[in-house]
Amino acid sequence: MRKQNYFKENKIEYVDYKDVETLKKFLTPHARIQSRKRSGIPSKFERQLAVAIKRARFFGLLPYVSR
Amino acid sequence: MRNSKSAKEGLVVYELGFLILPSIPEDKLSDTVDAIRKVVAKANGTEIDAEAPFQHPLSYSMSKTIGASRYVLSDAYLGWIKFEVEPREIQTIKTGIEKIREILRFLLIKAPRETTFTFAKVKATAEAKEESVSTPATEVMVE
Repeated sequence: MRKQNYFKENKIEYVDYKDVETLKKFLTPHARIQSRKRSGIPSKFERQLAVAIKRARFFGLLPYVSR
Repeated sequence: MRNSKSAKEGLVVYELGFLILPSIPEDKLSDTVDAIRKVVAKANGTEIDAEAPFQHPLSYSMSKTIGASRYVLSDAYLGWIKFEVEPREIQTIKTGIEKIREILRFLLIKAPRETTFTFAKVKATAEAKEESVSTPATEVMVE
């Protein structure tokens, strides 16, 4: 099965740390970053996403831990 | 970063996100933003884009110690400013921002020139969605 790429489908070139609604899609219920096996995004966006989530956590937009 | 290089040689685009203490009255927020703008302008930075601070709940409580008292906060005013400046000036901007006492936390990063995301845009789309849900579709009369 072909892997889906959320960012390419939605024409997102830059993963912004302020875009919390998009970032939340790639978090587990415990607020951890999903594995690539689960998210299915390419490594380039995986790296961008991880940095954006960590920035959003520092900025108080996303939690470090949940539940 | 790939997109952060400016059209002018030697200039880099940066974005400064900041959280302002919620204890500050809303009419005095502009003073804090002006203080940030002054720090950027002093380092020969040119403002590209910005979003005015608005109150936003924090995902976890943060603390700030001012003098002898420690404040634990669960919400803050959130805003950002995008500017271009020479990379050697960024340290002076950073130390300048650190000195502003009203700022709870800030994030200084390289960013692309084009602004693709704003909180105002998200709010507008969310409101439009809510309106479309609350107003039911016109009923069709069937005889």
